[in-house]
Amino acid sequence: MSLVIEKQWNGQNAQIGERESIRAPEQTHTIVSREDRQTVGITAVSNPRIRCFDVNVHYGNKHAIKNVSLDIGRNEIIAMIGPSGCGKSTFLRCLNRMNDTIDHCTVTGKIELDGEDINDKSIDVVPLRARVGMVFQKPNPFPKSIYENVAFGPRIHGLAKDKTELEAIVVTSLQRAGLWNEIKDCLDQSGTSLSGGQQQRLCIARAIAINPEVILMDEPCSALDPIATAVIEDLMNELCSDYSIAIVTHSMQQAARVSHRTAYFHLGDLIEVGKTEQLFTNPIHQLTSDYITGRFG
Amino acid sequence: MNDLKPSKLKTIDHVNTRLAKRHASEKFFQRMGLLSLFIGIAFVFTLFFSIVSKGYTAFQQTFIQIEVDFDEQFFATEKPYENETLSFADYGGLVKKSLREMFPGVESRQERRLLYGLISTGAAYQLRDMVMHDPTLVGQTKQVWLLASDDVDMLIKGHMEREVPETDRRLRDVQIAWLDQLIAEDSVSLKFNMGFFTNGDSREPEQAGIWGALTGSILTLMITLLLSFPIGVATAVYLEEFAPKNKWTDLIEVNINNLAAVPSIVYGLLGLAVFINFIGFPRSAPLVGGLVLTLMTLPTIIIASRAALKSVPPSIREAALGIGASKMQTVFFHVLPLAFPGMLTGTIIGMAQALGETAPLLMIGMVAFIVDIPSGVFDPATVLPVQIFLWADSPERAFVERTSAAIMVLLGFLIVMNAVAVMLRRKFERRW
Repeated sequence: MSLVIEKQWNGQNAQIGERESIRAPEQTHTIVSREDRQTVGITAVSNPRIRCFDVNVHYGNKHAIKNVSLDIGRNEIIAMIGPSGCGKSTFLRCLNRMNDTIDHCTVTGKIELDGEDINDKSIDVVPLRARVGMVFQKPNPFPKSIYENVAFGPRIHGLAKDKTELEAIVVTSLQRAGLWNEIKDCLDQSGTSLSGGQQQRLCIARAIAINPEVILMDEPCSALDPIATAVIEDLMNELCSDYSIAIVTHSMQQAARVSHRTAYFHLGDLIEVGKTEQLFTNPIHQLTSDYITGRFG
Repeated sequence: MNDLKPSKLKTIDHVNTRLAKRHASEKFFQRMGLLSLFIGIAFVFTLFFSIVSKGYTAFQQTFIQIEVDFDEQFFATEKPYENETLSFADYGGLVKKSLREMFPGVESRQERRLLYGLISTGAAYQLRDMVMHDPTLVGQTKQVWLLASDDVDMLIKGHMEREVPETDRRLRDVQIAWLDQLIAEDSVSLKFNMGFFTNGDSREPEQAGIWGALTGSILTLMITLLLSFPIGVATAVYLEEFAPKNKWTDLIEVNINNLAAVPSIVYGLLGLAVFINFIGFPRSAPLVGGLVLTLMTLPTIIIASRAALKSVPPSIREAALGIGASKMQTVFFHVLPLAFPGMLTGTIIGMAQALGETAPLLMIGMVAFIVDIPSGVFDPATVLPVQIFLWADSPERAFVERTSAAIMVLLGFLIVMNAVAVMLRRKFERRW
């Protein structure tokens, strides 16, 4: 099975290679028509952390993700944009197998994390999710103290030898998430008593406390005001020196501000991938162009 | 109407034409709700009023003061007194002797029997307990308050009318005359009925108490709680969190829901067939009662626990799974604590149901007349609701108030259990 995929992948790679040569930046490119659902742009990167080949997701009869191939590089922030229901969140959830928790959801295709197939039977989801952390759309702190919220991950994974070490991890994580100065005096307070932006930063602190390699962010700022959003965006810029970050966002401005590369999804198809600057200023696909100019979505 | 063009009407006109009707229907609905609330409260109030008004007298008991001469000769013993001699003395005879001495004019055998009828047969045990407790009483003469018989009790409490013909009441004219004499001497009094709370069942209403049944209920409920809570919660957690969703689990779910609706007597039959006839556990034992009630309450607890687990927001599960917690860690550290108040409420409701259950216990022999207080789960016992059933079936007038009083105790326990459920819920409840 994997061999077949490999072949297909190679074939597609070749196609992309052709397209690349046709639409080299210095040439005036032709816009790809709306009906064409082949991915345009460069999906591969030179130093990938995660590589996805022909990922398909079905919710029962609904085909939610269609043949998506995409790489996520090291120390890269990749933004996924697209209208509602286009499958960007679903794709993100494939990367740490959160879709396992949904009934009637089947994921096919190959997703490699550092060359390992994460959907392989021998792969345990517990270490996988420890390596690929996730921040959800709605802040979801545990209804426990702030300290407990952050300490839970390191504790279950045995990252700290003793209490002082655990405390150090908690403090560092909160500092890196930019929350420390606000809550250093009330670590015993319930995590749910914080404001929305603080809660989301707490969730980020919780995610980075276990020192993952990749952080998946599913619309982390959709419920936040511009100031809290700015804090989180600064944080992402800082974090990308250590982690790979994949962020799903509805805000094109946010994608333009923070990401290095952007992927545009449309109705389950990955339409276009490219450097953020190029994609927003010079989209190749008509659908991308329509979306970013606000013609729909 | 025809010349009225609908297009000329604005939305606000449409709204206004229907507004009065809408408000009227809202008011009507509110009034109906209020009415049903009042009907409900009226029924509850009637229930409580009828039970309390019938039962409150049972908390008092008539005692008659009698001069008892603890004569050494009567005990046929001299100092030092041996316990055995004291314990086997004829205290019934002592009561009778004291009564004869109080009313010297009573000569005939029939009249004497009527005279003895004023005092309960339990008075003899009362005297024995006094002497055993304090042997120095022997040789003294003392005024003692002795338990009156149930008929005297009823007369004093006004449940027996003096006006009816002598043949229609249980106390003869002569007995009432003696009583009036005693009342005139201030020797008849209503005292707090301690025996009602400390005695086991008895054929004599004035000696009958609920302690035996209460102990039986507590032992039975302990067995029920110890078995049904862990089994119920474990089942709910497995079905809700771990089990794959397929037709087998659907089948199990449907069956659990059906079991909740099975008449409780069926569980009694099952208990009789399995626990008593097949396994060979003793009849009438709280152990078997507890097992049967466990079967009966399990569906309730499982359904309530599953509902509590379902109500935990999935975002909490995702949060835990997202940082690499295993399913077990997610459930035990995050889901269970949040679901716990709901599970607890379900369990206590199940327990309250079990506390009030009668039918299945009849099938396993807990309906027997048991005087002794059970000391363990293998001893024959009865439970409060069955005791109420037994007393309600008894012909003596004095059992009427005891039945109501026992119902009050049972209701009291139910209210306490529900209050505990509410308190625990408040204590453990957390917002997310």
